[in-house]
Amino acid sequence: MNGGHGPGGGHGPGPFARGIAWATALYLLLPLSIVLPVSLTDQRFLSLPKHDISWQYYHNLFTSPLWLDAMAQSFWIACAATAIAVICGTLCAIGCWRLARRSTEVIRALMLLPLIIPSIVYAIGLYRYFAWAGLLDTFLGVALAHGVTGIPYVIVTVSTALAAFDPRLEQASRGMGASLRQTLAWVILPRIMPGIVSGGIFAFIHSWDELLIVLFIASRNVYTLPRRIWNGINENLDPTMAAVAVLLIGMTLALLLLDMALRRRREG
Amino acid sequence: MSHALALHGVTKRYGNFVAVDRVSLDVAAGSFLTLLGPSGSGKTTILMAIAGFTVPDAGRILLDTKDITALPPEKRDFGMVFQGYALFPHMTVAENVAFPLRVRGMGRAEREDKVRAALDLVQLSALGDRRPQQLSGGQQQRVALARALVFDPALLLLDEPLSALDKKLRAELQEELRALHRRVGRTFVNVTHDQDEALSLSDQVAILNHGKLIQTGEPAALYERPATRFVADFLGKSNFLEATAEGGVLHLGGLDLAQADAPASGPVLLSLRPEKIALLADGETAANVAPGKILSWSYLGAGYSLVVDTPMGPLRASLPSWRAPIAPAEGLAVRLGWAADAAVAVAEDPA
Repeated sequence: MNGGHGPGGGHGPGPFARGIAWATALYLLLPLSIVLPVSLTDQRFLSLPKHDISWQYYHNLFTSPLWLDAMAQSFWIACAATAIAVICGTLCAIGCWRLARRSTEVIRALMLLPLIIPSIVYAIGLYRYFAWAGLLDTFLGVALAHGVTGIPYVIVTVSTALAAFDPRLEQASRGMGASLRQTLAWVILPRIMPGIVSGGIFAFIHSWDELLIVLFIASRNVYTLPRRIWNGINENLDPTMAAVAVLLIGMTLALLLLDMALRRRREG
Repeated sequence: MSHALALHGVTKRYGNFVAVDRVSLDVAAGSFLTLLGPSGSGKTTILMAIAGFTVPDAGRILLDTKDITALPPEKRDFGMVFQGYALFPHMTVAENVAFPLRVRGMGRAEREDKVRAALDLVQLSALGDRRPQQLSGGQQQRVALARALVFDPALLLLDEPLSALDKKLRAELQEELRALHRRVGRTFVNVTHDQDEALSLSDQVAILNHGKLIQTGEPAALYERPATRFVADFLGKSNFLEATAEGGVLHLGGLDLAQADAPASGPVLLSLRPEKIALLADGETAANVAPGKILSWSYLGAGYSLVVDTPMGPLRASLPSWRAPIAPAEGLAVRLGWAADAAVAVAEDPA
């Protein structure tokens, strides 16, 4: 919603354009905004507060071993998935950038597939492979699945950072006697670190709120937060879920703000 | 201690395009060689082959007696100043200069001593804590020099080191670079398309065109005795006289030319520098005299550049402006004269 800074220059948007922009924003934000009051309900089912605002479901969330366990699982899975996505994605992006052939363009496009194909198709495929590899319903399995589907985010952000990297810096480094590892650690990585951090944040968020794949490849052992919510909705309408939802939104928002702050610092 | 460099038949092709065509060169230890040529002449490709970033398709590169043709750049121990300097923007000036030492695992104390000495060498000791972006172009250039010299490289390679600077600064840094070369006494190999830079900096100049080495020599020798039309034309300005020799006498435009070392017969191409042509006063004479009219002229501060229409064709002559005997004007009749040893016979370049 950039009000009036378009190519028209000086002219603000008309009432129609302004109306559409606000409607779109509200349409995006309203479903989110409803969970906050619902999470503060004094009723015993998913509803708006009737008589009073109550923090009981937040209390419940942070004392229930079920929810705490789901939160911890989600957090550690997201950390492991982020590590996998950042390492593989960064190395892949650097490799493609260094070789820069037509084949590496194909590889880079292939690595973006998890973003493009429907998650459900991916989940079905994963289910078959993981059943064969004995990875169903394991921490490792979910972390791997989330890590792999998080790679595209890292590839996109790191490739963008590399596009702005001056290849002569690499030549200069090698010319002064630096090995490939030294060049990578002291020249290339520091220059593209903002891109790596950005990609890592997106990969973390991706894992943190991913549900579909988890539904397919996890059952009793692995209970991530989104899956706990999903089951909660199916089984009962416990308002604790609204509190969890607020927590999920808060975490995602915090990470996005962190990413924005890092970007601003780099550009400023 | 400095090292000698030799290229034997170095060739590099990109598809059907021959970027470097059987170039052989010898660079004496401690000397300053400049590879000079227009863009696309292959001079940068040769430098990249010496640095190790480009592997030649044929030929050998020797450092003293050691074959380094296939050695990767990080193993060559050569300092290099890149076009645009390629300083690391995420490091301070001191960290940039320390980089080659850090790469070699040198201890902190020794490293700091060497960095200080290198920054002293280029008179930048006060700016060690700055970032490269905070420095002027000339200062960045000096940081790049300090960084390239700090680890006592076997050879210093310079890729158009002065091209990003304005004209006045360029002249200043040319002198500094020359002095620096004398002080450190290492072998320098420089690439440029700027003939003034090549003449003023180098002990030896190698002139390249279309990937071929045309002529090498000391700057004065190249300027005074160019081997081909291209060399005469690229290094400074020159008139070209396409004369014919018959029985030891040269003819051109109905006039006889007095020329030292003229061949007995056949076509002869002469290169005649504008500053070797004098404007003759009334009654004055010279071995060669050509009457003409001024076609056009321009004022250059220190002198005038005249184009005079003569029976031999239009000739470019230069005339000092201080107490000039004439006031140049278009159509003014003048007489040009030059000595028998002023012009040099040069070869036509192979197509």
